[in-house]
Amino acid sequence: MKIKELIEKLKLKVRCGGSQLDREIARGYASDLMSDVMAHSREGDIWITLQVHLNIVAVACMTGIAAIVLINNREPEKETLEKAEAEGVPLLVSELPAFELIGRLYSLGIPGISEDAE
Amino acid sequence: MKDDLSIRKIQELFYELKVGDVMMKDVITVSSNMQMMELRAILRDNRISGTPVVDDGRLVGIISIEDFINWLAGGQQENRIAGKMNREVKTLYEDEPLVQAISIIEKFGYGRIPVINRRQKSLTGVITKGDIIEGLLKKMEVDYQEEEIHRYRASHFFEDIIADKTTLIFQYFMKGCDAMRNHDVDAVQNGGRVASRIRKTLRRLGIHPTVIRRTCIAIYEAEMNIILYAGAGEITVSIHKDEVNVKVKDSGPGIENIEEAMSPGFSTAPDWVRELGFGAGMGLINIRNCAQTFSIASEKGQGTVLNFGIPIGAA
Amino acid sequence: MKIDEIARVLKAEILTQIPVGETEVDLVCASDLMSDVLSFSKSRAVLVTSLTNIQTVRTAEMTEISVVCFVNGKKPGDDAVKLAEKNSIFLLLTGLSMYGACGRLFDAGLGDCYER
Repeated sequence: MKIKELIEKLKLKVRCGGSQLDREIARGYASDLMSDVMAHSREGDIWITLQVHLNIVAVACMTGIAAIVLINNREPEKETLEKAEAEGVPLLVSELPAFELIGRLYSLGIPGISEDAE
Repeated sequence: MKDDLSIRKIQELFYELKVGDVMMKDVITVSSNMQMMELRAILRDNRISGTPVVDDGRLVGIISIEDFINWLAGGQQENRIAGKMNREVKTLYEDEPLVQAISIIEKFGYGRIPVINRRQKSLTGVITKGDIIEGLLKKMEVDYQEEEIHRYRASHFFEDIIADKTTLIFQYFMKGCDAMRNHDVDAVQNGGRVASRIRKTLRRLGIHPTVIRRTCIAIYEAEMNIILYAGAGEITVSIHKDEVNVKVKDSGPGIENIEEAMSPGFSTAPDWVRELGFGAGMGLINIRNCAQTFSIASEKGQGTVLNFGIPIGAA
Repeated sequence: MKIDEIARVLKAEILTQIPVGETEVDLVCASDLMSDVLSFSKSRAVLVTSLTNIQTVRTAEMTEISVVCFVNGKKPGDDAVKLAEKNSIFLLLTGLSMYGACGRLFDAGLGDCYER
């Protein structure tokens, strides 16, 4: 599924990276710990987090994450937004809390990483 | 709710009570040199189905009525206990929690387990399922009475004192450790002890669970702030008739811009603290959300004083 | 949903040695930040997290969360397990990610514990 389809289905707000929305989403990953995301997430993941600081963009760039979704209507810090725009990482905002958002994504058929192995 | 609490209480007792507290201490034992024929009389006279085998104070095996029957069936060869006893004995130490005994009984299906002293390695008792149940029941009865007395004393505090106004104050002093500056991961991991002690105290006082929860969440956040940012601090809880009031005072570096510190997500915490699950810039806001009244006073270099109140009638 | 049912849905191992009894949960809190958990959680909730230090158990104690499920197969230390057992908090361990674990619990009908 493409990022823009998800945006429509889950009413996500686009904060930046509008030109990258045709990218295909492979899997979902949820975490608020940078080291954990670095260790487990992979190319093409959509990342759900409540973290809004600058480091999330760096982590997304390093791991090849397709888009970041901030939960609970959390807005990115100014530096985060600037960096994400410069790096071309789509930053999206959802009004849903983590569990609910993950549940909806999962129901739309986006698997988690460990599902691949089964 | 009440049932839930008593189930939890029993679960706690499985850990609190030790094998030595409930085991049977006067144990009938036999020696490995004894004849199998003699064993029968001992088991019968004492109405037991098995017994530990002890030589010179040391446990060397265990023998049961089943072994005796097998011996009879097998044509009564080898007449001494030494040849028929089970040498692979599962034992417990006196100081192990009951839960350990239960898991061994369940796993191996043994009816009785010899208990030995950790230091001297000598046999000091035997524990059976019956001993465990009896021990639990006794302890629950005693605990129930004690806790009732604590509760009664504590919850009647305000009624028993004759005064125009009564306030109960308890204080907690924290060494603090400036964890952030000293990169002290252990200190951060060990936070929450004060909040945990306050929680137990408030429970005894019979304060409504919702009030306890709000109070303790706020104190936990405040406690973490002291650990992370300050050299030392103190937490003072005052219980009034209609409000729990908490004052948190630290000798930390102070907050330069309070408005900034109170905005969601603002944090000066480095990544290693965030990776431990704190320092996300939510603490102060969380405290304010838990409380009805909230004030913060701070000056750079002078430390910070937090004051917040949770109404008791609000539950 | 009962603890053993949750363990089955998440293919999780139960780390604590306390009888599961009748404890039930119907809400989920998914987070790695304890401040976030402290602000929004409710009792009768399961906390899904990859943060395995003892703070997680303390947070559960304060918020009266009765079940914590650690994800990515990351096992907590013995001290965390002991503290949990003392406070009658059940600890589970699953090889699923937070995303995968939440997806399954959502499928199973559990709700979000977030409160405004």
